[in-house]
Amino acid sequence: MFKSRRAATSFALGAGILEVLALALAVWRISRTSSLELGKYLRADSLTAFFLVNLGAVFFLVLLYSTSYIRHIPAGRFSSPRWFYSLLFLFLFSIIAVYLAGNLGFLWIMMEATTLASALLVGFYNTEGAVEAGWKYLIVCTVGLAFALFGTIVFYVAAVHAGLQPEMALQWYALAHAGKMLANSPALLKLGFIFLLVGYGTKIGLVPMHSWLPDAHAEAPSPVSAMLSAALLNCAVYALIRYDAITSNAIGATFSHRLFIFFGAASVFVAGLLMIVQKDLKRLLAYSSVEHMGIIATGLGLGGFFGIYGALLHTFTHSMAKSLLFFGAGQVREMVGTSKISMLKGLARQLPWTSAALVVGLIAIVGLPPFGLFVSEFSILREAFSQRHWLAALVLLTTLSIVFAAMTFHFLKVLPGSSQMAESKTAVSDRKGPEFVAMGICVAVLITLGLSIPAPLNYLLKAAVAVLQ
Amino acid sequence: MMGFVINIVQMLLLVLAAPLLRGIISKLKAWIQKRQGASVWRPYANLWKLFHKEELVPNTATLIFRSAPVVAFAATVVAAAFLPVLHPAAFLTLDGDIFLFVYLLAIGRFAMSLGALDGGSSFGGMGSSREALVAALAEAPLFLVLTALAILARTGSLSEIAAWTIRQNFFDVSTVHLLALAALAIVAVAETGRIPVDNPTTHLELTMIHEAMVLEYSGPSLALIEWSQAIKLNLLATLMIGLFAPWGMSLTVTPLGLAAALGTYALKLACLVIGLAVVESSVAKLRMYAVPDFLRVASALAILAVIFTAITKR
Amino acid sequence: MGLFELAAAKMLSSAAMLLFGTVLLMATAKRISTCVYLFACQSAILTAEVVAAGYVQHMREAYIIAGMVLLVKVFAIPFALLWLMKKLRTAHDVGASLSPGYSVFVMSGLIILSFAAVRLYLIELHATEVILAAAVALILNGAFLMVTRSKALMLMMGLLVLENGIFLAALVTTFGMPLIIEIGIVFDLLIGLFLMGIFVFRIRDTFDHLDVSRLRGLRG
Repeated sequence: MFKSRRAATSFALGAGILEVLALALAVWRISRTSSLELGKYLRADSLTAFFLVNLGAVFFLVLLYSTSYIRHIPAGRFSSPRWFYSLLFLFLFSIIAVYLAGNLGFLWIMMEATTLASALLVGFYNTEGAVEAGWKYLIVCTVGLAFALFGTIVFYVAAVHAGLQPEMALQWYALAHAGKMLANSPALLKLGFIFLLVGYGTKIGLVPMHSWLPDAHAEAPSPVSAMLSAALLNCAVYALIRYDAITSNAIGATFSHRLFIFFGAASVFVAGLLMIVQKDLKRLLAYSSVEHMGIIATGLGLGGFFGIYGALLHTFTHSMAKSLLFFGAGQVREMVGTSKISMLKGLARQLPWTSAALVVGLIAIVGLPPFGLFVSEFSILREAFSQRHWLAALVLLTTLSIVFAAMTFHFLKVLPGSSQMAESKTAVSDRKGPEFVAMGICVAVLITLGLSIPAPLNYLLKAAVAVLQ
Repeated sequence: MMGFVINIVQMLLLVLAAPLLRGIISKLKAWIQKRQGASVWRPYANLWKLFHKEELVPNTATLIFRSAPVVAFAATVVAAAFLPVLHPAAFLTLDGDIFLFVYLLAIGRFAMSLGALDGGSSFGGMGSSREALVAALAEAPLFLVLTALAILARTGSLSEIAAWTIRQNFFDVSTVHLLALAALAIVAVAETGRIPVDNPTTHLELTMIHEAMVLEYSGPSLALIEWSQAIKLNLLATLMIGLFAPWGMSLTVTPLGLAAALGTYALKLACLVIGLAVVESSVAKLRMYAVPDFLRVASALAILAVIFTAITKR
Repeated sequence: MGLFELAAAKMLSSAAMLLFGTVLLMATAKRISTCVYLFACQSAILTAEVVAAGYVQHMREAYIIAGMVLLVKVFAIPFALLWLMKKLRTAHDVGASLSPGYSVFVMSGLIILSFAAVRLYLIELHATEVILAAAVALILNGAFLMVTRSKALMLMMGLLVLENGIFLAALVTTFGMPLIIEIGIVFDLLIGLFLMGIFVFRIRDTFDHLDVSRLRGLRG
């Protein structure tokens, strides 16, 4: 079946559109009833719906981008368009399952499934770097998730000892409403939460568990990088939000929120500094992902309406901006054959349209108006200042300026000037196709979000924040 | 009175049956290697022959060279007096004799090392330096193992530890015992100079430890050395049996009980000997610089055993 | 007390000790195959533990879990790993960056640490100290193997040991997670190992060795 690339592509596109429609339908249903329960293992509320909207958008863009990107992939074992699409859809399904999981054990299983589905995608090119990155990704994330499993078990133990029925003791909504029942074993909950933070934090890429992230993002095919950065990291954030809600209800928010702020600020700061010395465009973007995950964690840790609102909105805006940048970087890598910053001098002359997309992405990702990230970062900072949390505010502001300088420095090295590539015989030029449609959509969404947040999304966001408060 | 006689008998058993044990081990090894092998009584004939030979002494040697084998033999025989074999009591018993036991073995080694140095050959010096290394590394775990068991039994005497162990349920093996047994097994291999630490039958200068030391000896002196080496093997095997599997020792002094005790003792010894023969035929000798590592394993296990006595205290 | 009860009680009381034994032996092992056999032994002990606990507490589900563990961890995974080793035809040493002697020292320290860690939570957990400490020791041992052994297959071994520890922890504190979740976890583990197997082949084909400490192409 699907011997040819074209057949595989059109089938995948069809399936993708159906998928996105199904997601839209699900979101619509959820937003009308505010929560939805399917059997013992599936459950959704407004928070789920918000993340599903994000996922649907990202996946659609990634699929659109892949249809032309996949063109030059050589056929090999586990490396053919068929495998690419199959794995991409598996990846998508496992992420959806994480969002819809009502049972924390099921959530863990599906989180592990996201690792398994994406490991082969990370190692897709089968080059030295890709194999190393894929292996590292698989091992580091599996170990991290093993710790998360331990944390899950500790929560289960605490719930069972608190008197919940064994079959209810893993349902997050039961745990979230158990509240004071769980408060009898604070030491266990704290232990479990630390393990979960380390475990799912590995997937998020929080410093110091981020070691897999730059490698995987840099070596994976660019659509996969976008999917990792814009969908997978959010999915792990979602898992931590659920546990945070449970812990906060039982033993107060201070414990988990302090941890969030600590790891978040550490990630922002370390990733910001590391961005200065990067030599590869895609690694630069990967560290930027670590930094933004740190911002989100800090926002969640600050709590309050604007903190959570900003953090949730930031998951969305970051995934749009990062998709745009990875699409651009993918174009560069495909056309020029490398993403080493030192080799890309004079890119603006060679690939004007791609360069324009990259510049827009750059302005968006460093958090300048009129793009969406400005709004979300501003919201988080506002919460920090209104709570007089000077340390968080200081770290965020300092690092944002460092990141601004670092990103601009690297991009200014790349974009202007006469090209070294022009002297080589193979002239490169922009190829306009579905990839530019995808990038255009990203830009449009970012600008829209920067100017005013559309009412339906705002409604969903506020409902999601309400779930958490 | 009867008990006193038995104490003497069991000590003599350890001393006199030692060459037989050696003979049995070489026979077993021969069988495993599909050879006929020498008779199990061969070590006795060998000792007899050596005792009747003329003794040659290097002209650089002093009194130390001559007296070393005698000291080593005497120390080993005295050590044998502390071990319970047929019933949980020994010819000599005092609180804290676990330390005395270790040091009696150490005196034997010390004497042999001095004697080898005094012999004046280069092999002797090499052998005694190696022997000193192994002894230094093996002593600590041996001490710790005995200490761990002494803490459990709340007594410092070998025969009373055995008496305490008999009273425990056979099935309730504790973690301490497992760890201590593992450590002691490694130490015993090192102490008696068997494979994989040392090869008792080699004369290859690169690898030999004990054999290098005794190279200059001949006649009755060599006989004493061989004999005390055989006794040492018997001592450590009996020590393991006494500390870890004393069940079957007769608690009352009746002929039937003693016969049964002798039978079970022989059976347990046979198990150990078969195990040793299998290990010696299937494992290669360690390189010299890997030996400290091997003994480090024993040290770690022994330390763990001591700590576990505190952890698993009820 | 019938014979079965006696056997079950003995199993429950001595399993921890046997597990400490496997853990220490794994620290000393020099060949990958030794580790694989030890892992199979360890899983067999876990199986016996599950059966014993199931018998004592009259839980039907336990036998299903025990059967699954037996099938997957005692037979399937060790066989697969041995097959993989035969197929890969590379050196069989574990690539230790710490000699066996010191490894045992460190491992002993970790075992003591696990006792200390378990002490903190004994009041809130209604479980025996020793077996819980064994679970934590298994987790630490797995992590230790992954850190100090550089061969790709040993990283997989470390992960498996770690997973065994988590399984044991769940077993002794709550008598296991719900059955369906346990099955899911084992399934994930199997797929994970399968993928790691694929990557091991790729590493061998791309780099001509399996020493993952020498994979240093991606830095910074």
